[in-house]
Amino acid sequence: MKIKEDNYMKWFRLIAFVVILLATVACLFPFLLIISASFTQNEAIIKDGYHLIPTVFSFEGYATVFRFPKQVLTAYGVTTLTTVIGTTLGLFLMTMAGYVLQRKDFKYRNFFSFMIYFTTLFGGGLVPWYILITKYLKLTDKLEVLILPGLMTPFLIILMKNFIRSAVPDEVIESAKIDGANDFTIYSRIVLQLSMPGIATVGLFLALHYWNDWFTSSLFINDTTKYQLQYYLYNVINAMSFIAQMGSGTGVSLGSDMPTESTKMAMSIIVTGPILFLYPFVQRYFVKGLTIGAVKG
Amino acid sequence: MTNKAAKAVSMLLSIIILIAVLSACGSNNNGNGGNATNAPKETEGTTNAGGEKAGIDTSKKVELQFYMLGDAPKDIASIQEQVNKMALEDLNATVKFNYTSWTDWDQKYKLLLGSGQQVDLIFTAEWTQYQSYAKKGAFQALDELLPAAAPTLNSFVPKEMWDAVKIDDKIYTVPATYKEYVTDGFVWREDLRAKYNLPTPVDIATFEQYLEGIKKNEPTITPLSMNSDVKTNLMDRFKGIAHAPIGALPYGIGINYKTPGEVYSYWGSDEQKEDLNVLKRWQDNGYMVKNVLAVKDTLQDQITSGKAAAILGDNPTRYNDMVIKIQSTHPDWKLGYTPYPETNGIATPVHPIHNGFAIPASSKNAERALAFYEKLVTDKRYNMLTQYGVEGKNYEVKDGYYSMIGDSNSNGFPREGMNGWAWRNPEYMLFDKNYDGVKAIFEKLDKIQVPDKFTGFAEDYTPYQAERAALEQVEKQYLFPLNAGLVKNVDEGLNTFMEKAKQAGLEKIQAEYTKQWNDYVTEQGIK
Amino acid sequence: MLKKNGVLKELVTNRILFLMLLPALIFFLINSYVPMVGVYYAFTQFDFNTSLFNSKFVGLDNFKFLWQSGVLAKLTLNTVGYNVVFILFGNVLAIALAILLSELRTQWFKKLTQSIMFLPYFVSFVILSVIVYNVFNYESGFLNSTLKSFGYEPLDVYNTPWVWIFLIIIFYLWKNIGYSMVIYLASITGISDEYYEAAKIDGANIFQRIWYITVPMLKTTFVMLLLFALGSIMKGQFDLFYQLIGNNGVLYNTTDILDTYVYRSLKVTFDIGMSTAAGLYQSLFGFVLIMTVNYIIKKINDEYALF
Repeated sequence: MKIKEDNYMKWFRLIAFVVILLATVACLFPFLLIISASFTQNEAIIKDGYHLIPTVFSFEGYATVFRFPKQVLTAYGVTTLTTVIGTTLGLFLMTMAGYVLQRKDFKYRNFFSFMIYFTTLFGGGLVPWYILITKYLKLTDKLEVLILPGLMTPFLIILMKNFIRSAVPDEVIESAKIDGANDFTIYSRIVLQLSMPGIATVGLFLALHYWNDWFTSSLFINDTTKYQLQYYLYNVINAMSFIAQMGSGTGVSLGSDMPTESTKMAMSIIVTGPILFLYPFVQRYFVKGLTIGAVKG
Repeated sequence: MTNKAAKAVSMLLSIIILIAVLSACGSNNNGNGGNATNAPKETEGTTNAGGEKAGIDTSKKVELQFYMLGDAPKDIASIQEQVNKMALEDLNATVKFNYTSWTDWDQKYKLLLGSGQQVDLIFTAEWTQYQSYAKKGAFQALDELLPAAAPTLNSFVPKEMWDAVKIDDKIYTVPATYKEYVTDGFVWREDLRAKYNLPTPVDIATFEQYLEGIKKNEPTITPLSMNSDVKTNLMDRFKGIAHAPIGALPYGIGINYKTPGEVYSYWGSDEQKEDLNVLKRWQDNGYMVKNVLAVKDTLQDQITSGKAAAILGDNPTRYNDMVIKIQSTHPDWKLGYTPYPETNGIATPVHPIHNGFAIPASSKNAERALAFYEKLVTDKRYNMLTQYGVEGKNYEVKDGYYSMIGDSNSNGFPREGMNGWAWRNPEYMLFDKNYDGVKAIFEKLDKIQVPDKFTGFAEDYTPYQAERAALEQVEKQYLFPLNAGLVKNVDEGLNTFMEKAKQAGLEKIQAEYTKQWNDYVTEQGIK
Repeated sequence: MLKKNGVLKELVTNRILFLMLLPALIFFLINSYVPMVGVYYAFTQFDFNTSLFNSKFVGLDNFKFLWQSGVLAKLTLNTVGYNVVFILFGNVLAIALAILLSELRTQWFKKLTQSIMFLPYFVSFVILSVIVYNVFNYESGFLNSTLKSFGYEPLDVYNTPWVWIFLIIIFYLWKNIGYSMVIYLASITGISDEYYEAAKIDGANIFQRIWYITVPMLKTTFVMLLLFALGSIMKGQFDLFYQLIGNNGVLYNTTDILDTYVYRSLKVTFDIGMSTAAGLYQSLFGFVLIMTVNYIIKKINDEYALF
């Protein structure tokens, strides 16, 4: 029997290897085109299209993005700050919420779960939310507006709830309670450690959300030193496209000479870069959680 | 529904209703308050007619919120400071310059006006839907305010311009007085034309011959530069030169410039059939790429990169930009330009609505805002500062021309860096030497200029709002492919389109639009 | 009276739990429930000079544009159809890839491929549409250049509506696979090794182990993702369709969804009433669907339901 098993495993691993390899190449291919295009001269892109190797090599895309290095660095700083603060705070609040919602002895968990979930179904739309933030909460041009609205999403809370439920058996909580721990201690000492893979996942998604956010800056920030990175970069590109289209009425003869396509590609690469560094770091949390030896005996 | 869920839903509904009631109380106060503040200002204006600053009350210091599209120049902070120094002295007011950036600007524009946020001055143009917003009451009427708060401005702008921006007989924006042309014209690669001895494009026939010549002799170059916006860039331009429409009319309405009182339906007419057949011929002969409806490159980029050889219609300023660009990248290339007006005799200068500034309904400082704007336009110190920056730091004047100090990377305030198109003052304007080409074209057009009879018309589409949205869909799905010459059987395709359009409510829209247009023509006495 | 006692008693006994949940509740109350009042816009004629509740009530007028063009049924079909396919294919593929990946032993290969498969998530659809155009366009696209060099006729992909059904699905999968895969991977990691050990001792081979242990353990996650996706079934994916199809009316019959339709209709009209009405339609549709499905799932197994 053991030999048969080994054969199956070997075949399986082979199939797995091939499939994963194919999937990876499929994902990578367009990305290679983008990298190549980011190093290609703008005119060559419009004329000849995209190729795996730049037809006419040029740094103009990157040069345009980093035209004003101080501004780019400031935007990087803002986004990093909001991502770190937002993710930490959000994770803290969401893990607590997820933990509470999965406790079978919490009578109103279904009601609250529904209440949170309901917000994904219905909404008042953009205008009321905009009025709320600008008129009533007066958050325009403040850093808080970049952090607060994105702190939690129903999807992540419920995801967290599921992760905790499958990672932390009820018996563990029971035995801890018998030992005299209160809910918060259980949460911080036991639940957090056991649900690491889940927390890592939710944390990753939350961080991504903050990192990619440009919408909040677009609506609420006028102060250029508080622009998020994505927004700053989008502006660079949109300004170019718009001036190209709206030549009339502006009389701007200079500055309309920007390499739009190369810059768009360079921007893609610049934005993705840091996340690629973050991801492997997060990956090490995708390991089996500490065994629940506490219950076995 | 389970008991629990039912309880949940009812609890939620009660919470929502509670909030609704609370906000209603709050909003009622805001709403009434907003309407109330408008009234006193108008009476103040009339009782204190005449007299410069004596007409407005400058006892309370205010901060004005000024909104402009696009991005602010790097030096905006110091410019704002210097402006405020003067404004504080002159008007006991300071200004904050805000920019929407070009990302999602129309969304932001809508929010700025629709959310009741405190905005005192905002840019307007026909392409920011000035007419629609004005008609719906987004801006404050300036008729009474002008003589009281900004008498110099009032007399500076000629009466015809004030009349031209009136919607429902009230002035809602301050127009820019600089006259320019954004009429279209053929653009082509002149060096290729000379090389293959092709005719000079002056009308559709000669243009087509040019395209054919390029197709034959330069197989790698696409003759016609075109992208997915086949409505504006192809159909409207084609109509502009092939017929003599009064403007870019919507909903397939046809009105000729010379006969504003006669309205017909261009869509479904033989005229349209002919035009579509020509376009189909262009597509079949390979003058445009087959997948033109998916192309996103700009028309200009295709020319300057050498991908295409001609543009059906573009304005003089953009043409000049292309010329300058290829001077440095491809000095051996040349571009040619024939303005449409030279062929059809209709040269309309830009309508006054094209660049203007308005005071939104939500502003509580309308008088001070208008007085400040007057300074921006008529006071040389304010104007030069906000159009060109600081002399000696951002620019110099050489031989009467504007000359930028440094280059676009180091200079903190390029020419018109604050996007001050609306508050240009022709008496103070400085031009870059490169702009001479455009000025030459403008001079030619001046000789044949005629008034713009169309842009002043503000359509009120509330009666057919739903049909309008539905029609948009039908247009994109059935008309665009026809315009791009992709439909094999033009007659059939056109019939299908007309059928669907009628289903969506085309006749109702056309009838209502025609009625409004005829009223407008009789009122304004347009011949 | 009794109910009130019950609620208070519950809150007091579990006060720490309740406190832990409170920040989330307050957050949603302020950020989501207060603005929900704005739904009323859908029934009013928007006016700049009056507040929301003073605006003229116009009943269902704002909803008219949705069915006037006669395409509402088709749009709904397209939107729902695509979303169902996305959900099914997307999840099945994600689960499959996650399982395959988790069984590999070479650590560096695992980590590398995982990162790479996550990359497409960052490629905005704007850029993707440009690349797609580059590959498929008639005159000079990569596909047609290759075909021509082998002597075949070029294909006019952009003017062939049915092809796009598959293309859209492929692009959707390409972009989102990394994201969903991560969620499933995390779930798989949470499955205790002991189950597998016990199964191995009992003589189960790899396929049996996967089918009888891994897959059932992923059911909760799958159901959760399914329910969330269903709630947004009438919305979303706007970027995908808008960028890849854009103005290409030839393809609308097979690829137009509600969001793109609404966007085009309201681009020049800035009518808040109409756009809210469209949003309300989407929400109601999703709401009814979710309540039904959740109810069914609850009947099957109480734990799987969302609420």
